[in-house]
Amino acid sequence: MTQESWMEGTLAAPLLGAVLALIAGRSAASAIGILTALVGSAASIGLAFAVSRGGSFRYAVGGWGAPLGIDLRVDALAAVMLAMTGVVGLCISVYAVGYFRGKEAEAASSRTNTGPAWLFWPMWLMLWGGMNALYLSGDLFNIYVALEVVGISGIGLIALAGGSAIAAALRYLLLGLAGSLLYIVGVELLYAGYATLDLEQLRQRIDAQPSTWLAAALMTAGLLAKSALFPLHFWLPPAHGHALAPVSAALSALVVKTGFYLLVRLWLDVFAALGTEHVTTFLGALGAAAVLWGGVQALQQERLKMMVAYSTVAQIGYLFMLFPLASMSGSLTGALLLAVSHAMSKAALFMCAGSVLAVYGHDRIQSLQGFGALMPMTAAAFALSSISLIGLPPSGGFAGKWMLLSAALAGGAWWWAAIIVLGGLLTAAYLLRVLAFAFLEPVVASSTRAPRAMELTSLILAGMAIAMNFALLPLHDLLHAGGAR
Amino acid sequence: MSGDTLVLDLVLAGLLVFLAWRLLTLSDLFKATVLFIVFGVLLSLAWVRLNAPDVALAEAAIGAGVTGALVLDALRRLDARGPADEAQPLRLNLPRLVGALLVMGLGAFLLWSVLSLPPGWRGLSSETAAAMPRSGVVNPVTASLLNFRGYDTLLEIAVLMLAVLGVWTLNAEPMPPAEPAGPILDVLVKALLPPMVVVAGYLLWAGGHAPGGAFQGAAVLAAGGILLHLARPFNVANRGVVRLVIGFGFAVFLLVGLTLATLGGRFLELPERHAGILILMIETAAMISIALTFVVLFVGNARDNAGRDTS
Repeated sequence: MTQESWMEGTLAAPLLGAVLALIAGRSAASAIGILTALVGSAASIGLAFAVSRGGSFRYAVGGWGAPLGIDLRVDALAAVMLAMTGVVGLCISVYAVGYFRGKEAEAASSRTNTGPAWLFWPMWLMLWGGMNALYLSGDLFNIYVALEVVGISGIGLIALAGGSAIAAALRYLLLGLAGSLLYIVGVELLYAGYATLDLEQLRQRIDAQPSTWLAAALMTAGLLAKSALFPLHFWLPPAHGHALAPVSAALSALVVKTGFYLLVRLWLDVFAALGTEHVTTFLGALGAAAVLWGGVQALQQERLKMMVAYSTVAQIGYLFMLFPLASMSGSLTGALLLAVSHAMSKAALFMCAGSVLAVYGHDRIQSLQGFGALMPMTAAAFALSSISLIGLPPSGGFAGKWMLLSAALAGGAWWWAAIIVLGGLLTAAYLLRVLAFAFLEPVVASSTRAPRAMELTSLILAGMAIAMNFALLPLHDLLHAGGAR
Repeated sequence: MSGDTLVLDLVLAGLLVFLAWRLLTLSDLFKATVLFIVFGVLLSLAWVRLNAPDVALAEAAIGAGVTGALVLDALRRLDARGPADEAQPLRLNLPRLVGALLVMGLGAFLLWSVLSLPPGWRGLSSETAAAMPRSGVVNPVTASLLNFRGYDTLLEIAVLMLAVLGVWTLNAEPMPPAEPAGPILDVLVKALLPPMVVVAGYLLWAGGHAPGGAFQGAAVLAAGGILLHLARPFNVANRGVVRLVIGFGFAVFLLVGLTLATLGGRFLELPERHAGILILMIETAAMISIALTFVVLFVGNARDNAGRDTS
């Protein structure tokens, strides 16, 4: 198959699956969901291989070409994000089948129905499609529409949990709309200044006009809010902590990366000619603050899901330390490796939390004594994910942090290095605190078991986060071949 | 610009700012809603003055019409739970003052940015004019929405679809039972519904060569549906037929794009000879889906007669 057909499959499969799942309804939605996930992830992995062989390419949707039409741009950076979404997305789909089967059994025994729970499938597939559209896009307005698809489907997915999740979903909606508004005003200003929406053409034409700086500031503020970087993180813990487990996994592992990805595109590529040193230092400083603040907050949480959600606030911070280190060789590889292994280990952690909830009926950390004996697979998944999140060898988290650390030290920026190490210690503190409970004697003998599919998927994902340790060289080669700027 | 239109523009701009201020500070939510609708109508006039009749139509139909109906509907649901129509009027405190100053500073900066644009800015109008003969339609707005940047519109239709899923997810309560429709509403429905369907069809068709199109047609069609619902309440819950119609527009658009890609073109690359008919097909499907979307947003997730949840 050609590069183009892999790309078309990546773009269209989740969108088509979403509308088919909606039309088919409750009975067939999950089957369509799994089938779509298989096709979609295969297409995105195929696309990554195609890019590593043939290099980056552009694709004019509708055949018009920029600036009149919309051009997609597939390079190594996009290919890595798409493959990450594909692999983690497939695992989330498998987990969700087990998760909702468990919910149905629960509902059947209490003679109620699961209500609109099956709407998970069309909304989740649409979320996936929105993320793929965003990573593929080379056009500022098209990215805005993709951001809206991602945002609105995320809100619906959070609201699926009902109860207190609805307030969190509403807050997410308002914040998302404010972020979109700031972003789109910036896009209009750039269009007014340069008569194009295409990222590549913009990069060539950009100059340091006041309106360009205003546009850049507005777009950055909007995207920072969407990627929940400290101090704009306040909406994330309630939203991710109250959603259903597969939804939390999707939001925390995948959705927060979209804002980061766009900021990398903008500040390390499109706006690079503006002279951006103080901006990248600022973004890095916010990242450092997020690492510390998120870590301290995670340490104080009493509920497992909230702790995992605050951990996301901290881990997002790590990614933003790429910005001040971007001129150092290996820093992009490191940050991407960190992003991918975080996606895997964070999805696994939320899956573990979901399995624990299914068995214990609550997720209060203090009362999880002996979950290692009751659910050994989940405990193993938790431990493996922790290794990668903390950054212990061998794991993707280790390799990624190592690359960032060496970039910082090579540049003589010991303070960034200190934050990276300190954040790792905080991560160890809050994750090992939970893990310690696994080895205690179980207090209650619970007869409920989490569905096998759920426990197994979390273990597989956690294992992949470890295996990412060996993805360093292939990733480096892909970035080299795909000409990611 | 002649003196008369300058005065008109100044009055219009002043009124818009005044209305916005008033509706934010009113404590009576019903009055605020009415002002919101008036604001939408005046805003569509402003779009007319800016030579954007397509946007003006959409603003009037969706911004003032459908959104206004939705806000009134929300207000009625609040009323049913007790006296909720009294809101705290906005008072100026320190955080709000800081926020207001920031927004005003931003506004001034924006204004200055716009004024510093080179005179005679033409955007992409020459590129658009050059491509028009190959677009299959005569109206450049339709060409842009359905052909040049049709992919954006495809994703926007997805957003509307997601809005319906959101309503079903929230399990929104159905409208409280309406008062029995009086004879006037009944006559109104009988008299207005047929022309509304015709107008919607006309707007859709006109989109090819004049201001109009799927979104505007859908808003008129939806208004008819809402009127009908008020006179004779019907149920548009999460059922097979309803889901099929909601997904229809997106599915047709996506499948057209994919078919063209498998036939050797690129995704959504409309061949010049068939572009006109393909656009009409996509727009018809989209109009039907969008109209039902608006109706579902208004009616919510109705329960059936037995009071069971129909989702």
